[in-house]
Amino acid sequence: MKNSKYHFFSTDTSKVLQALGKDVLIEDYKKMVLIRNLELRLESCYQQGKIGGFMHSYAGQEAIQTACIRAIGQDNWYTTTYRCHALALLLKVSPKAIFAELFGKVTGNAHGRGGSMHLYSDKMLGGFAIVGGHTPIAAGAAFSLAYKNVKDKVSICFLGEGSVPQGAFHESLNLVSLWNLPCIYVIENNQWGMGTAAKKAVSAHPIAEKMGPAYNIKDYTLDGMDYFSLHAGFAHIFEEIKKTQRPVLVEVITERFKGHSISDPGFYRSKEELERIKKRDPIYLFKDKLIENKLFSEEDAKQIEQEQIELIKKAMTEAESDPDPDPVHLGEGVFALEDERIFGV
Amino acid sequence: MQEVELREALRQAIDEEMERDENVFILGEEVGAYNGAYKVTKGLLDKWGEKRVIDTPISENGFSGLAIGAAMTGLRPIVEFMSWNFSFVAIDQLISNACKVHYMSGGRFSVPIVFRGPNGAAAQVSCQHSHCVEAIYGNLPGFYIVSPSNPYDAKGLLKTAIRCNNPVIFLENELDYGDKQEIPDKEYTVPFGKAKVVKAGEHVTVIAYSRMLKKCMAAADDLSKKGIELEIIDLRTIKPIDIATICQSIKKTHKCLLVEEGHIFSGICAEIGFQIIEHCFDELDAPLIRLCQKETPLPYSKILEMHTTPTKESIVEAVYKLLA
Repeated sequence: MKNSKYHFFSTDTSKVLQALGKDVLIEDYKKMVLIRNLELRLESCYQQGKIGGFMHSYAGQEAIQTACIRAIGQDNWYTTTYRCHALALLLKVSPKAIFAELFGKVTGNAHGRGGSMHLYSDKMLGGFAIVGGHTPIAAGAAFSLAYKNVKDKVSICFLGEGSVPQGAFHESLNLVSLWNLPCIYVIENNQWGMGTAAKKAVSAHPIAEKMGPAYNIKDYTLDGMDYFSLHAGFAHIFEEIKKTQRPVLVEVITERFKGHSISDPGFYRSKEELERIKKRDPIYLFKDKLIENKLFSEEDAKQIEQEQIELIKKAMTEAESDPDPDPVHLGEGVFALEDERIFGV
Repeated sequence: MQEVELREALRQAIDEEMERDENVFILGEEVGAYNGAYKVTKGLLDKWGEKRVIDTPISENGFSGLAIGAAMTGLRPIVEFMSWNFSFVAIDQLISNACKVHYMSGGRFSVPIVFRGPNGAAAQVSCQHSHCVEAIYGNLPGFYIVSPSNPYDAKGLLKTAIRCNNPVIFLENELDYGDKQEIPDKEYTVPFGKAKVVKAGEHVTVIAYSRMLKKCMAAADDLSKKGIELEIIDLRTIKPIDIATICQSIKKTHKCLLVEEGHIFSGICAEIGFQIIEHCFDELDAPLIRLCQKETPLPYSKILEMHTTPTKESIVEAVYKLLA
């Protein structure tokens, strides 16, 4: 990405290629293709009326969380926004459990109680749907690590640039800095908060480069369409944070290929603009690099895509035939189980 | 037995639970070096250190959310609000996260956390420091709401709250912190969901909690001299409500007065009154009467302050009306 005002983390792609090796790279390529096709299939399910509520596609941003988890590992605390399908997939939630959740089935990831915006794994605290409201939660996960003296794990919080104007975010930055908490805030700047341009919502750009120093937090800017520079950046940040036990603020420059949500046709963005953006499709960039380095061929890529499409179709079909929740159980699960002594039984 | 102030009873509960479970910690404004705005946490920083007694900046939204995140990842935070009125700047964290995460995550994450601090009016602290929050948080499934009226219950209920696996709204009152009572030296807890008949009587059932209890007891003393015996129920737990104890009393008295410090519209009395209608309407010989805060922000002037919340006199008057 050519933009002089940003100071992008510099990357030596060949080093990443070498360090990760063919198998890992192809595995991550598969994951990105899986995410893209999951989003596409969910979109068509939505249009067929099989999914309700709000739904937000991660198409265009796949490289960010894929590279981040590869670099940092699954065994950390993860928190994200309502645009959460990809993170769930990457943290080993099965495509079927995601389909089932969005279909409102009892077998869904959250038993049909959460829907598209609230997905979880044992390391994924959510799926949060109040913009910026999840940023203190991630600080809390980092607090737990520090409290228990765990020094080789971190808390990672993904947020959109639309969260940046929220007070909760600034309170979180202040607290993690003040208390030396190992928390990485990753602002995925996809340029639009619903239909409001980032320039009209955030007073200081580049966001991390300006705001990090204000909170005495180390900042990084990464190219969100380039898997390799993302991986190199996150790997560097992870090593650094393990040493410093200090928070980090990252701005990732990216683009979403779809509207804010399924119901947003995105009229605020011209067709030409979208075409220009899609020339830097992270999946194509990744594929080109793999082909260029002879790690696989165009045919291999096609085969991978076909496999992922089949995998998604199978998951969808299986989820569709799963049972709906029984309203008899509607009231269950509001409270976590208690020792009966709490109620004096 | 030991005679302690209510603030000391709360302190003992926190201290004992910190001793019992290393995952328990307390955070809030001035809880550490200042020893607590109302001295509930006096001495705890010296004993437990900065790791577990944490002074926060004035940042309720941030530190409440942080505590919820800590609870989701294995710790048991106690969050002190210097006043429950300050919870309003943290309300998104309480409403959207604390009380919903367990259900919303299909039971994957729980939020064992206690939010505590003084609720309602104190002495002339005016409009922005005097709101009763129980009706607001009571409207949200996923919270337990507790409000002790004396040192014994304060200690026992707080210990229960800290052991609870769900978010607890724990409501104290600034004017009650200096109240003294003999409590056991030995460890004890008070269970949630159990109201207490604090005075038996045959003529009128009076339902109250927290600071209003004392006003009801004072009214009962006056009325007793006139041969009118109130049966007074201290709710102790507001949610879940102990409707069985309430109905049992109404079966005896057939008349009921509900007293609440908070506002009348959509208040706790409105809820309990309706539950009484649902559960034991046939036992009532007179319409229910409720005394609550009038529909004004709580004013500064002493005389206005006194007239917007229930008083001994207004309680006595309401009882006569019920018996007329």
